[in-house]
Amino acid sequence: MTIMRINVGPIHPSTHGVLRLVVDVDGDTIKGVTPHIGFLHRGVEKLMENRMYMQSPSYTEKLDYVASLSWDDLYVSTVELAIGKEVKEAAQVARVVMLELQRIASHLIWLGTQCNELGQMFTMFMWCMRERQEILKFLEDISGTRMFYVNLRLGGFNKQLPADFVDRAHRLVDYLERNFASYPDVTESDPIFMERMKNVGILDRDTAIEYGVSGPVLRGSGVEYDIRKNMPYYIYDKVKFIVPTGSKGDNFDRYRVRYREMLESIKIIRQALDMMPKDPDVLGVPVKLIGPAAKPDIVVNHRELPKGEGIIYMVPDKQKPYRISLRSPTFINLSVLPKIAEGAKFADLVVISGSLDMVMGEIDR
Amino acid sequence: MSDAPYSEEEFLNAEDKMSAITEQSLKSYRVPPNALFTRLSDVTKLLSKKVLKWGKTNSLWPAQFGLACCGIELMAFGASQVDAERKGYLLFRSTPRQNDVMIVAGWVTKSMVPRVKRFYDQMASPKYVIAYGECATSGGPWWESYNIIQGIDQVLPVDVYVAGCPPPPENLFAAMMKLQDKVGGKTVGDRERSIAEEIGRDEGEGVQLPEEDNGR
Repeated sequence: MTIMRINVGPIHPSTHGVLRLVVDVDGDTIKGVTPHIGFLHRGVEKLMENRMYMQSPSYTEKLDYVASLSWDDLYVSTVELAIGKEVKEAAQVARVVMLELQRIASHLIWLGTQCNELGQMFTMFMWCMRERQEILKFLEDISGTRMFYVNLRLGGFNKQLPADFVDRAHRLVDYLERNFASYPDVTESDPIFMERMKNVGILDRDTAIEYGVSGPVLRGSGVEYDIRKNMPYYIYDKVKFIVPTGSKGDNFDRYRVRYREMLESIKIIRQALDMMPKDPDVLGVPVKLIGPAAKPDIVVNHRELPKGEGIIYMVPDKQKPYRISLRSPTFINLSVLPKIAEGAKFADLVVISGSLDMVMGEIDR
Repeated sequence: MSDAPYSEEEFLNAEDKMSAITEQSLKSYRVPPNALFTRLSDVTKLLSKKVLKWGKTNSLWPAQFGLACCGIELMAFGASQVDAERKGYLLFRSTPRQNDVMIVAGWVTKSMVPRVKRFYDQMASPKYVIAYGECATSGGPWWESYNIIQGIDQVLPVDVYVAGCPPPPENLFAAMMKLQDKVGGKTVGDRERSIAEEIGRDEGEGVQLPEEDNGR
């Protein structure tokens, strides 16, 4: 049998950015996939080492541009650890609300594009973008910008929350829940969707742990691992939520985990809003030329980002990091693609790579 | 029969003679080259100023070509809130052969430059480039990076720049309208546009404001 080598990307409508895949096919069956990355590399870590601590959030949020606030929070909380600054209670609650909304927004983008890739053109995409617009509008009214909200400061936010924060958040969450209820009509009741998602791209439990994948990809394979549960931060130990897991580890399980996570996020937001104190004071330390100095201890910080476990390793200097290293979850999730795509049909390649929810800005750094 | 202008012999041979004359004339007649086509081109020359320009102006098909963060806003540009389709902008094509506008959405790394250039070369003329966002305009926050070119205008001729990080989809909409002005044809929906751009109008006049959505 002759093996044909096909190039996919880097400019391709459905590789979620500029990812290049070199695929060896025998007939219609994939024999091997080699991902080529680095088309968006711009040296974030090096740039961050040449910035003051609170200048860098505008870099970290462009790592995962689908859910910018989550990386922002990871970085700012790392600096808070290094400096030894406690986060105000109301700010903790507000951060959890905004982070969970950001998680929903990220999953919405994933769901919309995934359905596009399945050829289910634009119904789900339009619905998801409609809901995402509402979330972005809510976050925009808090911070002032639409996608990149540089509003986290040491110990809180850059300004006070709007007066109707709780009311609007409740209304937004009600709206989201109402609309999410209709999503399975287009996904799970659709035979084409099920046919192409079930039993495709199977990642079993042991392989998932071996490769070190995290986030919904790991939970889809049946491992119950969530930083919010295992190493709780902010108020996550006080709220009740379950960590949804799959059983088989195929595309459908990964979809199911993400869909249920969106509903769990709504639960978390509701509980967090009930914890919100009256007249919340969320003001953090304003950014100055010379900020508070950091302690010279190495800091490692974990967060559950929408796409998996993000880690920042930082060797602090006084006013800026001496060395900073980012562990992006999607980079490790991508490494499992050659394994699970092998033996699949060529037409399923885009669906499988899409189900890993990659963001190239974070992979290439 | 004697009054006839021709003799009987001539009358009998007339048919042969006629055919001989026709043959002769056909042999001597040379068709001027491209007689038909020159005339058609005259017509298209007349038409091209108006009809073709009108067509170009109102069917600017962008490329489905998102590089980075701005690509997400490009998706929002195509989604229901902005609804770019009402102006004919929206047929996002995946192949460069069917594109008119290339929206460079994101930072361009050095390894990406030859690919972007090749994509541009594959597009059929007339083609336009929009630099969408800070990174494509000037390098943006990555200006100091060792792997970034400081703006796509170092490589391609840019028609419209859009500022913002990332610019909201409405800004891209405005940029497409600017590009339409640049192409120069008559745009569809000129009347609504003049209402929107008229500065001296009273608030709410001529524009139906939607009711407050209680959903959010």
